[in-house]
Amino acid sequence: MTTDTDLALRVRTALAEYLKRDVTMIKPGDALREDLGLDSLTTLELLYRIEEEFDLEVPDTDLPGLVTVADVTAYLQRRSTQA
Amino acid sequence: MTGLGVASAIGIGVKQFWEAALAGRSGVSKLSAFESMPMEAYRSQVAGQIHDFHVGHHIEGLLAERVDRFAQFAMVATKEAVADSGLRLDREDPYRIGIMMGAGMGGMLIAEREYHRVYENLRPSRVVPNFIPQVTLNSASGALAIMCGAKGPNLTISTACSSSAHAIGLAREAIRAGRADVVIASGADASIVPLTFAGFCSLRALSTTFNDSPERASRPFSRTRDGFVMGEGAATLILESLDHARTRGAHIYAEVTGYAATSEAHHMVVPREDGLEIANTMSMALRNARIQPVQVDYINAHATSTPIGDVVEIKAIKHLFQGRANQVAINATKSLLGHTLGAAGALAGIVCALTVDSGLIHPTINYDDPDHDCALPGISGRAQERSVRVALLNAFGFGSNNATVVFKRCLT
Repeated sequence: MTTDTDLALRVRTALAEYLKRDVTMIKPGDALREDLGLDSLTTLELLYRIEEEFDLEVPDTDLPGLVTVADVTAYLQRRSTQA
Repeated sequence: MTGLGVASAIGIGVKQFWEAALAGRSGVSKLSAFESMPMEAYRSQVAGQIHDFHVGHHIEGLLAERVDRFAQFAMVATKEAVADSGLRLDREDPYRIGIMMGAGMGGMLIAEREYHRVYENLRPSRVVPNFIPQVTLNSASGALAIMCGAKGPNLTISTACSSSAHAIGLAREAIRAGRADVVIASGADASIVPLTFAGFCSLRALSTTFNDSPERASRPFSRTRDGFVMGEGAATLILESLDHARTRGAHIYAEVTGYAATSEAHHMVVPREDGLEIANTMSMALRNARIQPVQVDYINAHATSTPIGDVVEIKAIKHLFQGRANQVAINATKSLLGHTLGAAGALAGIVCALTVDSGLIHPTINYDDPDHDCALPGISGRAQERSVRVALLNAFGFGSNNATVVFKRCLT
């Protein structure tokens, strides 16, 4: 079973690969837009990668809740529990 | 014209491009494999490809990585052209900087990849989010605007193979109409991909006889020419008003002094065989420039190496220039690069600028067996040197589209 830590690391790793940064530079509290510099389109691209990685689809209605890296991790945790 | 930039199969960067052009080096090679596609099933197996291109080696940042290959070429060429011009774009009024972009095909790499995937996987939700922003024809002009901070008129002209000749002509017109002080005129295409390449093969437009000797395949005006060679690349020319260029003491390669745009309203892919429409287009451009045919020293011919196209263009030149046709220097840049479609006009514009500036005329390579119907004394398989005061650029596109641009040496 996936632990919180594993999941958080996978999210941060996906972000780091996309942003071409070291994974240690990505903090759970970082806001996707303000801190990591993602815009509306790049946020969608990141979510696309996460959808691929975790084999799920994120509906439009869930997007506003995904503000920080930790939000994304918590969201994925919730989704995996529901599944 | 005060700045030039090139991304081509014979060199990335104007210096490398021009040295290779003058040396008559071919950029045509055996077609790279299309993943698991059976390459032997392609009638034509040669292309003028830019090998080992990595945009990150030329431009930093995510923007360049998130646009299609044709737009990456345009960004690389434009970065060089802006630097070459010496302009500090951040010191210009951004609303007075325009962009005129020519593109024939657009983002064909991502187009074909995503078309293939969605039909294969039947999962529309797995189309990448950046598909539409990348595939659109004006993605390159948008990327150039962002890169350069250019907030003036920003247009993409798509008239197939004449696209970026119009971009140069319309850049001049935007300046003359007072809509901009500086216009970045560019052209780019990168569509050597499985479906598009197959489409040109099916049209029987491409060379097929020289699959085992690729560098010989693009042979404009030669008796044994048998179709064009697909190419790819980009070129950018910085145009500014004469006052603007002179005030800052810029080096002026040449003036863009005339332009004509016409349609033959005749056939989707074939020109009128008597060449009268092409002659008329050249004549209109010269009238626009207030230059007589007898003053023309050099013509950068459209000359794609197709059996009909080359002979019609020469017929048109003979018709318009009469006796002068035997004195004008003529070359075919596509003999070096193949046909770069939407980039072809801009690449020819670079050649015109360098030719006017230097008096050097690159060879038309593979002109070793001249077609009697195309032969003129000014066409040579060797580099020529002569004073060029007036140059003509011809570009013709599918859809019955013609463009001619006139360049003149700038007298300071």
